[in-house]
Amino acid sequence: MRVMKAKKMREVVVSASSLRKEYRLGDLTIEALKSVSLEVLEGEFVSVHGPSGAGKTTLLNIIGGLDKPTDGKIIVFSHDLTEYDEDFLATFRCAYVGFVFQSYNLISTLTTVENIAFPMELAQWPQERIGKRSEELLKLAGLSHRADHFPSQLSGGEQQRTAFARALANDPPLLLADEPTGNLDLETGLEIVHIMGKLKAMGKTVIVATHDERIMKLADRTPCLRDGRLVA
Amino acid sequence: MSRQAFPLKDLTRRRFQTSFTILGLTTSVATTVFLLTFGDALGFEISRVATGRLTTGFYNVFSRFIFIIGVLNVVVGALMVAFLMFLAMSDRARDIGIMKAVGCLTEVASEYFMMELSIIVFVSCAAGTVLGILAYFVGIHSLNLFGFPIPLKPLNTWMIILVFVAFVFTSHVFGAQPVVKAIGMAPVEAFSPLHGWRTTFKKTQPSSSKKGFGFTLKIAYRSLSRRKSATYRAIACLTAVLTLTSVALLGGVIANQTTQSYVERAIGTDIVLVANPSVSKQYTSFLQRFFNETEVEPIDYLDPEFRIPESLISRMRPMPGILEVDPRLVLEATAYEVPGVIIDPEEQGNYFIVGDHRSAKALIVGVEPKSIVNEWLVFGRVLDEADSSVVVIGDSLALQVFAEPLKESVRIFGRNLGIVGVCLDPLSNGNVVYVPMKTLSTMLNQFCYNALLLKIDPSKRSQVLKEITNEASGIGLEALELNGVLAKHLDFLDRTWSFAMFLPLLSLLTATLCLLSYVMLSITDQQREFAVMRALGAKPRNIMKIVFTEALVITSISAAIGISAALLVTFMFLIPEPVISPYTLIFTGGGMILALSLLCLSSLYPAIKVVRASIADALSKPS
Repeated sequence: MRVMKAKKMREVVVSASSLRKEYRLGDLTIEALKSVSLEVLEGEFVSVHGPSGAGKTTLLNIIGGLDKPTDGKIIVFSHDLTEYDEDFLATFRCAYVGFVFQSYNLISTLTTVENIAFPMELAQWPQERIGKRSEELLKLAGLSHRADHFPSQLSGGEQQRTAFARALANDPPLLLADEPTGNLDLETGLEIVHIMGKLKAMGKTVIVATHDERIMKLADRTPCLRDGRLVA
Repeated sequence: MSRQAFPLKDLTRRRFQTSFTILGLTTSVATTVFLLTFGDALGFEISRVATGRLTTGFYNVFSRFIFIIGVLNVVVGALMVAFLMFLAMSDRARDIGIMKAVGCLTEVASEYFMMELSIIVFVSCAAGTVLGILAYFVGIHSLNLFGFPIPLKPLNTWMIILVFVAFVFTSHVFGAQPVVKAIGMAPVEAFSPLHGWRTTFKKTQPSSSKKGFGFTLKIAYRSLSRRKSATYRAIACLTAVLTLTSVALLGGVIANQTTQSYVERAIGTDIVLVANPSVSKQYTSFLQRFFNETEVEPIDYLDPEFRIPESLISRMRPMPGILEVDPRLVLEATAYEVPGVIIDPEEQGNYFIVGDHRSAKALIVGVEPKSIVNEWLVFGRVLDEADSSVVVIGDSLALQVFAEPLKESVRIFGRNLGIVGVCLDPLSNGNVVYVPMKTLSTMLNQFCYNALLLKIDPSKRSQVLKEITNEASGIGLEALELNGVLAKHLDFLDRTWSFAMFLPLLSLLTATLCLLSYVMLSITDQQREFAVMRALGAKPRNIMKIVFTEALVITSISAAIGISAALLVTFMFLIPEPVISPYTLIFTGGGMILALSLLCLSSLYPAIKVVRASIADALSKPS
C-alpha cells in the first residue's frame, strides 16, 4: 500500500502512446513498432526485452528523440518530441538524456576523459567544473588510470564503462541503454551490471533494452516487445 | 564473380567516390592537353624554353607561363590520383581484409583493385584528352571570332599521345602504391580501426578548450591530427593545386599587365606617325605582325617620293603640343649573324667562338638615339648619341639568329655592327635592327628619313593632330595616330591572356574536387561519430562547424604554402620586371580570397548531407 502510494506520487517522465514506426526499404515497408504505449515513472528502472528485430532499439531511439514515430505521441519530461526541430531535440538530449549503446560508440579521436567531457563541453560548462566532474566520473567507472587512452586502446568493458560515464556526464534525469552488455563477455558484463545497480540506487530513471537476466533482475518492470508490440 | 565484374560493380556502387576521382584526373589531363595545344598554336613551342637561349620577351613570358603551369598540372594530376586512390583504398582496406579472410587469394584481390585503378585512369585520361582537344578548338575559334586570326594548326598527335601516356603512367605508379599497401595488409590489420588514415596512437598536443569555437577547433584539430596520413596527403595535394591556381591567377594577371606594359612602352602612347601613305601602311603592317601573321610586300623605301622634308621636321620641333620628334629611316634588309669571340677567363690565351652564320630578313630602322620615343624593355643598353657602329636588335631576331646576341655582331649592308642591346619590340614582331642614323646613312651613302614619329601632349590632342595633319597633307604625307594600333595590341594580349586565365578556373575546380573528396570521405569515415555526437546533444551547426573547421585548417595551411610558392615562381622565374599595380593586388588578392572561401564553403555540402541524415540510420550502420 505504501509502495503504491509512493509510486503514485512519482511523476510520469516518459509517456508513449500508440507509437507506430514504419521504415521504407524501396517498395518494402517494415513496421518496426505497432501501436506501442508505455509510461515510465521518475526513478523507475524499466528493462525492455524481446527477440532481435522486435523494435527495442527503435523504441529507445524514439524516447531519446533520435528518431520520430510515424504515428502516435511521445512525451518525455513534458515535451512532445514529435513537435520539435533538430536543434531543440539536440539541446533536449544534451540536458535530459544519457545514451549507452551496444557498440559503445565512443569518439575515436578523443581520449577517455575527453569522451566523458564531451556532453559537458556541448552544454558549455565552465572548464573547471568539467575537470572536476570528469574526475568524479572516471572514478565512478574505475577508469582513472585510463584517462588519457584512446578508445582503440581500451578493452570492451572499459569502453562500455566510458560510455556509461559519458552518459552520466550532464547528470541527465533519464538514462537509455541499448543492450549495454550485448558485446561483452559474462565477466566484463558484470562490471556493467554493477554500474546499473549503482544507477538504480542513485534513483535514476533508466530504460534499458537487454536480454541480460542480471540486468532484468534489477528492473522494476520488464515489458516484453515482440514483433513491434508490447506483450507484457 | 568475374574479374571484370567485381571492379565494375565496386566502382559503380561507390558512385560519388568514383566520380570524384575520375573528374579530378580528367580535369588535370584536359588542362594539360589544352595548354600544350593552345600554346603550340600560338607559336610558343614549349620545348624552346628549355634551351634557355633568351630568357626574355613575350614569347618567353607566355611559354614559361605555359611550361610552369604544364609541369604543375602534371604534378597536380599525379598527386590527385595518388591522393584519391589512397582515400579509395583506405576505404576498401576493410573489404580487402574480409576478402582475404574468406579465402580470396592476394593476387586475385590485387587484380580486382588494379583493374579498378586502370579503369579509372583510362576513362579519365581518355575523357581529359578529348575535353582538352575540344577546349583547344573552342579557344582558337573564339580568338578568330574576336578578330585575331590564329591559324588552326593540325594537332600535334605525338604531343597529345605523350601527355596521355605520361598521365596513364604516373597515375598507375602513384595509384598503385596504396593498392599494393592495402593488398599487402594482413586481414587483422585491415580490420583494425588504426589502419591507414584512421586513428593513430600518437599523442597530440592538447588544445585549449574554450566555449564555442575553441571546442569545435579542438574536435577538428583532433580529427585532423589523428588522421595524419590522410591530412598530410590532402595538404600536399591541395598545396600543389593552390600553387597552380595562384600561379595561373597571380602569374596570369601580372604577366598580362606586364606584357601589356612592355607593348605600351615599345610602341609608345600618344604617338603620331607622319609618312607617305605607302610607308605609313607598311609601318602599321609591320606593327600588326605582332598579332596578325601577314606577308608585307616590300617597297622601295628609298624612293624620293617617300622622303620626309627636313623643313617639315624643323617646323614640327617647336610646335606647341609636340613633346618629341623622332625621325626615322625604315628599310628592309637581310641581317647576318657574325659569331663572337669569348676569351676563356680561366685559361689565358684560350677563346671560344659563339654563334654561326645564320641570317634573317629584318626591318632596319635608322634612328636619332637622343630622340627615340620608344621605352623598350632592353636587355643590355639603348643607343646613345656617341654610338656609331653598334645596334639594338629586336628579341625575335635575337632568338632566331643569334646564340649570344650581346657577344656577337650583326652584318647589314656589308658592315659589321656590334650588338649592345636586345629590345622587346612588337615592330615586325621583334625582327628589327635599330641603327644610329649617322651610321646607316654612311652605309647607304644617303641621308634621308621616310617616317616621323611624334609624341604629342594628350591634353592638346585634337588641336595638335589637326595642325600636324594640315602640315603633312600639304606635302602629300599622312598623319596617323598609333593609339588605335596600340589598343589592338593590348586587346590581343588581353584576349590571349584571358584564355590562359581559364586555367585558374580549371585548377580551382581541381582544388574543389580535391577538398571535397577529402571532406566527403572523411565524413563517410566519421558519419557514425557525428551521429553519436548528435545523439549526445551536438546541434547540426556544431557538426557543420567541425567539418568547416577541418576544411578551413587544411585549406589555410595549403594556401599559405601554395601561395608563397606561387609568388616565388612568379617573381623569380616567370616575369622579368613585373608590373604590379594596385588593381593587380586587389584583383588577385580578391580572386584568391574568393576562391579560398568558395573552396571552404564547398565543404559544407557534404556536411549538410550528413546532418540531414537520420541519427538512428547512421547509428545502425556498421562501424
